[in-house]
Amino acid sequence: MKFMLSKIRNFSIIAHIDHGKSTLADRLLEYTHTVEKREMRAQVLDTMELERERGITIKAQAIRMEYKGHILNLIDTPGHVDFSYEVSRSLAACEGALLIVDATQGIEAQTLANANLARQNKLVIIPIINKVDLPAAEPERIKEEIEKVFGAKPAEILLASAKEGIGIPEILEAIIERIPPPQGEVDSPLQALIFDSHYDAFRGVIAYLRVFNGRIRAGLKIRLMGVGEEFEVQEVGTLKLGLVPKNELAAGEVGYLIAGIKEVKQCRVGDTVTDAKNPAPHPLAGYKPIKPMVFCGFYPLAGEDFENLKDAVAKLQLNDAALHFEPETSAALGFGLRCGFLGLLHLEIVQERLEREFNLNIIATAPNAIYKVNLHDKTHTYVDNPSLMPPQAKIESIEEPYLKLTLFTPAEFVGPVMDLAIEKRGTFVNMEYLDPKRVMLVFEIPLAEIISEFHDLLKSVTRGYASMDYELVGYRPADLVKMDILLNQEPVDALSVIVPREQAHYRGKRLVEKLKEAIPRQQFQIPVQASIGSKVVARENISAIRKDVLQKCYGGDITRKRKLLEKQKAGKRRMKMIGRVEVPQEAFLAVLRMGK
Amino acid sequence: MTSSILHTPYPIPQSLYIHIPFCKRKCNYCDFVSYAGKEELIDEYVEALCNEINSPPCQSETNPPPSLFKRGGKEGGEFSTIYFGGGTPTLLKPEHYERLLGFLKMIIIFKKETEISMESNPGTINLDYLKEIRSLGINRLSIGVQSFNDVHLKTLGRIHNSKEAVQAYKDARAAGFENMNLDLMYALPGQTLEEWRTDLRQALSLNPEHLSIYNLQVEENTPFWNIFKTYIPQTSYPLPNEETELAMYEFTIKTLTDAGYHHYEISNFAKPGFECKHNINYWKNGNYIGFGAAAHSHLNGKRWANPDSLEEYIGSGSVVRNVEHPTSIDSSRATDRQDSIFLGLRLLEGLPKAKFAGFEKEIGELMRDGLLEEKNSNYKLTRQGLFLGNLVFEKFV
Repeated sequence: MKFMLSKIRNFSIIAHIDHGKSTLADRLLEYTHTVEKREMRAQVLDTMELERERGITIKAQAIRMEYKGHILNLIDTPGHVDFSYEVSRSLAACEGALLIVDATQGIEAQTLANANLARQNKLVIIPIINKVDLPAAEPERIKEEIEKVFGAKPAEILLASAKEGIGIPEILEAIIERIPPPQGEVDSPLQALIFDSHYDAFRGVIAYLRVFNGRIRAGLKIRLMGVGEEFEVQEVGTLKLGLVPKNELAAGEVGYLIAGIKEVKQCRVGDTVTDAKNPAPHPLAGYKPIKPMVFCGFYPLAGEDFENLKDAVAKLQLNDAALHFEPETSAALGFGLRCGFLGLLHLEIVQERLEREFNLNIIATAPNAIYKVNLHDKTHTYVDNPSLMPPQAKIESIEEPYLKLTLFTPAEFVGPVMDLAIEKRGTFVNMEYLDPKRVMLVFEIPLAEIISEFHDLLKSVTRGYASMDYELVGYRPADLVKMDILLNQEPVDALSVIVPREQAHYRGKRLVEKLKEAIPRQQFQIPVQASIGSKVVARENISAIRKDVLQKCYGGDITRKRKLLEKQKAGKRRMKMIGRVEVPQEAFLAVLRMGK
Repeated sequence: MTSSILHTPYPIPQSLYIHIPFCKRKCNYCDFVSYAGKEELIDEYVEALCNEINSPPCQSETNPPPSLFKRGGKEGGEFSTIYFGGGTPTLLKPEHYERLLGFLKMIIIFKKETEISMESNPGTINLDYLKEIRSLGINRLSIGVQSFNDVHLKTLGRIHNSKEAVQAYKDARAAGFENMNLDLMYALPGQTLEEWRTDLRQALSLNPEHLSIYNLQVEENTPFWNIFKTYIPQTSYPLPNEETELAMYEFTIKTLTDAGYHHYEISNFAKPGFECKHNINYWKNGNYIGFGAAAHSHLNGKRWANPDSLEEYIGSGSVVRNVEHPTSIDSSRATDRQDSIFLGLRLLEGLPKAKFAGFEKEIGELMRDGLLEEKNSNYKLTRQGLFLGNLVFEKFV
């Protein structure tokens, strides 16, 4: 068994988005004949349609390759900051990581964030400069950056072009040479780390795991130490493009587990699998239950779709332990769901899947953070829906979640980036020059500011050259107030928003302006007001349509007229009736589009 | 699928439309099917029209033709209107019309009261021409004046000036036309309310029997679209704003009503008894047969259209064109009923309440919002509804 372990290498590929992670994975699979060229869909590991479209990996997976008598387990990691906990658990299942840096771009925010996660998990890092074939490639400059930031020796840095297949054998050699084989005791009590799971309609939950100690086989009664539930193993195996059943998985190996688990909630990423009869004394380190950070309401456009919406979200949840939801009622929008997400991307993906895969027309309210509200009676409550903020008179203080925000930008944009971060209530923590041209800036900033349009504004002030990453650092007190929006004199709870008191007037003004742009004119004038308590802080009027009539009737061609009317009507079907006002989805996002 | 039409008894079509898709030049706002610089095809086109008239629709080998058209005149259908529209029908020679009307007379009965209209462009007609077509039996003439302001005429890309329009009108009277329409447009680029008032007063001073008055609509695939609907409009003559447009329309209604015209449709005004029968048939969703390129037909709930392309139309020769034609537009009973409503509501008298069965909710909302009212067992547009017609019509599609 010792011999076996010495022939195993478990590794991940980590990179900033678009630096070529998926393409490199494809080349490794091809070169090791794990996947033949003809069965190669570009980027085999990204299986969800949405992942392919967006070019990012949402769910991690694993695949086993064989090369020169070694077993190489590639554990893929999600490529977005929303999923950094999953990234860290995937990395925890490995002994090494390939760190990809784009030869034309250099180190970006997620390069650093992922590399830090890899270091925390004590992985051996193999730095690779990718895309060296491109005319704009600057491998020498990037080498210096890598040396400076990660302390790598120049000789350790590999040059590659995944797209052109350059440097692939050298990478495989380095994996075998530099990454240590897994350690572990086959005869110790079972300890296996779940680094991913997904729900299969036929087989229930399929958990992906790395065995650290002991062995696991069909028939074994297991306990998931974090969740505290027990199951009987039905099947274990390794992962090629599909599942390959095996008798057992032993310490050091990576594979899958099927045990009649019905929901991914019962099988959390980061949890430890152990033998129910002969449990390990303690679980593997690092497990934490996932808590949603960003919330929004989903409401069906047609009230009768509520049950369908609930069913659809429940189905998505089968495969998405991070997705939370509970029914809520809005006076303006009727029955809906308050949903919790890891971040904005997670939210967008869920919304898109509801619309695409379940054919639902929904209104999503503006995303918000979760606030801790301390009351005068010395109790506290968490508020995940701005309209449910307790009355001002009861509130002692409010705390909001803060992030540590790391930004990478070309040096010439330091001024504008600094201004933006401070405008968005950020406080400066640190600044470091990677080289004379590139700067890393660190701020602490409220999550609420990041989930509005921060990323878009950052791109616009740096012409797309900056990247960012963040992590939650905790709750901080803040002077916040709830701002209500009235349409046609009626409060619309679903448009309420929490804002810093000192910016309330300014934001109220911007918000009603944006709402005026987003809500189409109707038959009557619609006042749009922002109020704090009973005090109106801003007002705009959406003027009435005065004239809208097709005058010319074209000979006998009725179909043209009809099409115009149908088009007009179809536009209105995408809107939600609030009182007598037709409100489009864009209006709910207006609160996010305040501009700088 | 088509046999049901043929075997179902249906009312005889009221109207015939003949499309003449030729123009000297395309106007800047026009997206009608019409071609400039193809006049050399006119002879062939007229022949193709004759062929089509000679092989009426709804005829196929498997389904014998109904007694819609019968050869020989005596048994012909009684059509109450014939309409030559364009394009510019007055680009054809009188001989062309002589031939076309000859073919038409073989399939339908002409009566004294049959309304036979022709559209005309002031830049293409003179007294002799008008006398000739009048003598052929054309008894209603529509002149595309559009504006009496030469600056605006130029902007629109018209080929005539204001003086020519007035002369054309006088010639038509001299030629014996006793039922005349003027087409006018308002809300033109850079047009002021005062300019429109002047235009309308000048039209009134000519004392036509009928006025069709449209606001300029900027359509896709026209030069105006590129000028006015691009992200940054490329013009120093902006379109009048909505308030001005509304004031122009209100002024039109008041002025013409005061002058004794009957405002019988959103955009149409007539001296009593001179309402256009052909167009009323469209608005009542009646039956009509269209001949020529791009001509549309509606027969007992089915719609179809001929190909837009001149060459394709001419090339189809005497191929029988009927509801099985590939360009046939399917129209279900439900959509036909909806069409009846939104077309019928264009008429100011409205249409019978019974036609709205199943739309009680929509009627309720529209009445609450003051866009629709009940009068003489009809539902009709209110004054407000007249200005916001689209908000009403869309409820029924």
